This record gives sequence, C-alpha cells and structure tokens, in this order.
Amino acid sequence: MLVVENLSVEIAGVKVLRSLGFELKAGVRSVLIGRNGAGKTTTLRAIMGLLPREGGKVTLDGREIQDLPSHERARLGIGYAPEDRRLIAGFSIEDNILLPALALDLPAAERKRRLEEVYAFLPQLAQLKDRPGGGVSGGQGKMVALGRALMVADRVLFLDEPFQGLAPALALDYARTLARLRDHRPEIAVLVTESSPKLLDDVADETLLIERGAVSRA
Amino acid sequence: MLQTLIPLFVDALANAALIFFVAVGLTLVFSVLRILNVAHGSLYSIGAYVAASVGLWIVAAGLPAWLTFPALVLSAAFTALLFGPVIERTLIRWTYGKSEAVQVLVTFGLFLILEDLQRMVFGVQSIYADTPMALLGISEIGGIVYLNYQLALIGLAVAVLIGLRLFIRRSRTGKLLAAVVADREVSQAMGIDTNKMFMIAFTLGVLLAALGGAMATPTTGVAPGLGADTMVLAFAVAAIGGLGQVEGAAVASVIVAVAKVLAIYYAPALDAVAPYLVMLAVLLVRPYGLFGAGATRRI
Repeated sequence: MLVVENLSVEIAGVKVLRSLGFELKAGVRSVLIGRNGAGKTTTLRAIMGLLPREGGKVTLDGREIQDLPSHERARLGIGYAPEDRRLIAGFSIEDNILLPALALDLPAAERKRRLEEVYAFLPQLAQLKDRPGGGVSGGQGKMVALGRALMVADRVLFLDEPFQGLAPALALDYARTLARLRDHRPEIAVLVTESSPKLLDDVADETLLIERGAVSRA
Repeated sequence: MLQTLIPLFVDALANAALIFFVAVGLTLVFSVLRILNVAHGSLYSIGAYVAASVGLWIVAAGLPAWLTFPALVLSAAFTALLFGPVIERTLIRWTYGKSEAVQVLVTFGLFLILEDLQRMVFGVQSIYADTPMALLGISEIGGIVYLNYQLALIGLAVAVLIGLRLFIRRSRTGKLLAAVVADREVSQAMGIDTNKMFMIAFTLGVLLAALGGAMATPTTGVAPGLGADTMVLAFAVAAIGGLGQVEGAAVASVIVAVAKVLAIYYAPALDAVAPYLVMLAVLLVRPYGLFGAGATRRI
C-alpha cells in the first residue's frame, strides 16, 4: 500500500536517513524500532513532507506522493500523530480532534460522523471534549493525538513514539487500544515508532529495525 | 475641567482607532507569517492616497456626496486586493525560513519602493479630502462639541475589534489561522494549506492598514512621509500590546493615543516622544508587552 524507496534526508549537512526503504501493507501493523537519534521521527516527518528530501520515492497505492505539498497527505487518508502530542493549547479537545476535518473542509454531516466514530473507539475523549488542549495530562494528550489522526486515517496511520513518557499503566492501556484498532479499522496500514521492542509484542505484525538511518527487517 | 478633558479624551480615542487598525494588521501578519513587515506603514499611506483620490473624484464628478463613505472602505479593500496577494506571493514568500535580517531588509526595500511609487503616482503635494467629515457635522452634548466623524471612527474600531475576534474564534478560516499561529508544522500535517493561510493573513493585514489610512483621510491631509510615521507608531503599539495580540493592540492604541494627547496638552515638547516613553516603560516591566506571553517552550 505505502512504499518507501531510497529515502535520503540530510539535516544541516549530516546524513540522517540513508537510502531507507520499507513497505506498509493494508491491514498490517508495523513497528519501527530504533534507538534515540536513529532516524524514526525523521523518517515519518520526511514521509509527511515536513522535511526536504535528498532523494527517494514514496508511493501510496502506486501513486508517487513525495513531491505533493505536505497538507495534501491528510486528504489521501494519511493520519499522523507526531511525537510529543502537539495539541493546539488554545483549542478545546474537540476542536483539536476536528482540526483535520476542518482543514479538509468536510461537510458538516461527515465531520460529525467521523467525530462520533472516534468517540465510539476512544470514549474517554468524549468526556474531555470541552477541556482546553493545554489542560490534559500527557497520557490523555496521546489519546487525543491518536483520535485527531484517526479523523483522516482511512489508509495509513503514523504514530510517532506514542509510548514515550507514559507511565507503565498508561502505556499498557495505550497498547490495548492499538490492539483494538485491529478490529476497528482492519483495512488500514499502521506504523508505530518505538525505542524499546517489548511494549509492542502484542501489537506488531511486522517489526522493522532502524539503525543509523537505514531500515532492516527483523 | 471636564469641559477640557472630555474632548481631549474623545480626540485620543479617535486617534487610537486609526492607530489600532494599522497596529492590529501588523500584529496579525506577524503572528501568522512570523515576519515583521517594515513596509506595513506604506500600505496605510497607499490606502489613504487611494481613498483621498477617490473621494475628490466623487465630489468633482458631481456624484452624491454620501458616496464618499462607502468609498473609504472600498478604497481600503481595493488596495488590499491589489497589493496583498501580489506582495505575499512574490517578495514575502521568498523570505520564509530566512533570517530576520533578510526579512527586515527585504521589507525595508519594499518600503522604499512603495514610498517612491506613491510619489510617482500621487505627487508630493498634500491632498485634502474631508467631505465625509464635513457631511457628518458636529453634535453638542452638555455644552461640549463633538465631531461626529470621530465618534464614528471609535465605533468602527470597536466593530473591527469584535469582528476580528469572532472571525478568529468562530469562522473556519479564522480557526485554521489560529492553528497555524499555534503550530505551523502540525497544521500542515493535519491538512492545512499554510501557504494559502499566509496569503489570507497578509492580505487581511494590508486591508487593516489601508482601512486605517482611508479612515484617516477625512481628518488630515495626505502627504509623503505619512507611511514612515505611521509604521513607527504602529510598531510601538504592537510592542506595547505584545506582538500577535489583538486585544493587546487595542489597549495599547488607547494608551499611546492618550499619552500623545496629554503630552500635547500639558508638555507639547514631549509630543513626539510620548509613545516611545510609554513603550520604554512597558517593556522595562513586561518585556513581551502587556498581553504577550514569553516564549515558553515545552521540553
């Protein structure tokens, strides 16, 4: 479904990704494992078009998307929960979740349908919906970022280090949520980045290892 | 005492209204694009020149005089649409991601070009077009005489303040702009076309500057140099209020205008420096301005 080939990125003259490649298949949960600084976040940001590339191709269902402006990926059904949540502090939780739908200018009925679907999958978000984006805990924020990404993730879902900084109980809760995602959206391709492989044993169908900017299959 | 103070205060508020239009435009452009547009004041004076020329033309052509009112607002809109998208698409867009020094140099270059352009098109003689002021006349309440046009200016400024707030909080475009201000990269990833938002915000900034200039024409002559004077004042107001703060710009406009009027009345020698003395005092106590929050970075 989503194929990355020869992706190379330099930041300030330093090669961060070296001809990296992998494939995400429909319905398959992949985990990208690597130490801090291995290039996990850079890989996702490069695929999302948030960084200039030195070279490489990204195709979604055979269509090259690497040169599209960043904002067009959401319309293609790619959802992205960045590292460190990045919620809009001045927006309510509900407005944060709705942001991608607003950006794509979806009809009101469709916006509502998707929001209700997200609330059905993550009921705790419905209880937080009127709180300000800056007023939720780290664990709650990760769930909000997941819900926001799910608003558009019809095809692909990228979750960047969702477990980082979570207390063990919350991490377990998040892992269970990801396991439930299999039934909720069986057809989408999911890529989760993580520094320690243990947490994702139950979630991962496929494990990719990233080291010094290059990916190998485990 | 009141007989003196009330007219002074109304005068100050009317001036504050004009300063507010320019300063809020400057601060809006800065918060979305993160660029301090040094040429912002030129767009104020271009708005003024366009409005004055159209006003004089309406009178000379023998058209109904009341048309000079809508002409003020339409002149501002015309200026915004003529200059906003073009300047953003060409010069300003080129400076995104470059250093502040480059951005200041480029917009300063733009300022010089626009100033000369105005001299070429409108000449160097002062233009007076006070029909709207004369039409609205005066009212006398409790023995104090008010210029109705000044009261209208204050009303318009309040309407613009409320309108901007509602636009940012309620409308789709306003919310997307607020998201871009808060987190540009996440906004892109969530599907917001940030380039389009930059163009909208810049054009809205030009509209507000040009509106200030257009609304000022009935009260004063339009002459070369207006743009530079206005720019410096708008910058002081934006700094006092806190860059990027809509309410901050409103409050700071009033403070600066009151300071200026009090200086003119009690210490005329300080007239020109009064706004900057206020700025100095505010920034010493609150370096990010009255409404500004310091750059807090989460780690």
